[in-house]
Amino acid sequence: MSKGKIVSIHSFRGGTGKSNTTANLAAQVALTGKRVGVVDTDIQSPGIHVLFGLDETKMGKTLNDFLHDKASIREVGFQVGENTGDAEGRAKLAGKNLWLFPSSIRGREISQILKEGIDFNRLNEGLQSTITEFDLDYLFIDTHPGLNEETLLSIATSDILIIILRPDNQDIQGTSVTVDIARSLDVPNLLLMVNKALPKYDFQTIKNDIESKFNAPVAGILPLSFDLADNASQDLFSLKYPDHAWSTALRGVASAILALE
Amino acid sequence: MPGVFDRLNKEIENKQKEGGITPLDLVELSPTLRKIMKLMLRELQMTYPRLREVMDAMPEAERLTPNSLDEALASLTEQFWLIRIGEKEKAIYKVNLKRKSGSTLANGIWSSLDQKLKK
Repeated sequence: MSKGKIVSIHSFRGGTGKSNTTANLAAQVALTGKRVGVVDTDIQSPGIHVLFGLDETKMGKTLNDFLHDKASIREVGFQVGENTGDAEGRAKLAGKNLWLFPSSIRGREISQILKEGIDFNRLNEGLQSTITEFDLDYLFIDTHPGLNEETLLSIATSDILIIILRPDNQDIQGTSVTVDIARSLDVPNLLLMVNKALPKYDFQTIKNDIESKFNAPVAGILPLSFDLADNASQDLFSLKYPDHAWSTALRGVASAILALE
Repeated sequence: MPGVFDRLNKEIENKQKEGGITPLDLVELSPTLRKIMKLMLRELQMTYPRLREVMDAMPEAERLTPNSLDEALASLTEQFWLIRIGEKEKAIYKVNLKRKSGSTLANGIWSSLDQKLKK
């Protein structure tokens, strides 16, 4: 059996802060000395690369190249620790073992995937190969919001699934669907994470209500933060502002992941 | 001149075109079949002796007897959800996922978009 754990991060609806959370969790786990990969399987609307300082000019080979047999998975891996740039937060990752496997942000390549579909044997081979080729301890998968086939595949192969929701009735109803699917797929570890909770609420009450509704542990409640919005995905917030309440709560989620070893 | 590995790979590729399981099908599988498919999804391909080894190492409550394993493998292979190369003890199993189909929008839309994106 492969030793690396797959951690899928999912939310039923968009705008929950999924990519931001995934990038920050991966960075926090990498800071502990673990070997970590992040795959952007949101092929239709990729975005997590921005948080790692990548843009079209710096992006080399992508998951799309791998899917079309134009690159090996080794060529797709972007070594974040060696390319931190001048961002204050990301600079803390210098020398750490963290790789990003980005999806293409070129319009033609996204439209090609939409038009031609996806070879799932190749996609799954790519996901599993990142673990063996890079000797990863953790592979974080940033999924497309809602349920599509790529998301189901990543949930089915996950050791840990983190579902992010806001304390909002639309999110809560959608999360029920994902929780049901995850249970049908026998995901070994299911964690919930509440993001964008209004600070005026009692977080312990939110935690108790959500845990009782879904019969699953809430690994963290992260506050709605103007500071995070102001960061505008320019840097990894929890590394730049480690003492911020959002960062402290996020580290709690990272600890919950590490505790599942 | 192609070696044994290349020929086996070619054989697997040809069989993969004949069908496959969708991620949604996994939800509908019986617990036994799902357990095998999930293992195969992580391992990509396994020999029969290795599969037996992994099953034997599982906690007793989760373990499949050799007969149940053989029956499950036969069922999965019959549906082309697993591809088997070779027979019995020498068999190699590989997972076979169905390709996600592309958009059903008219081709003209895509060529028009393609032209615009080239600019």
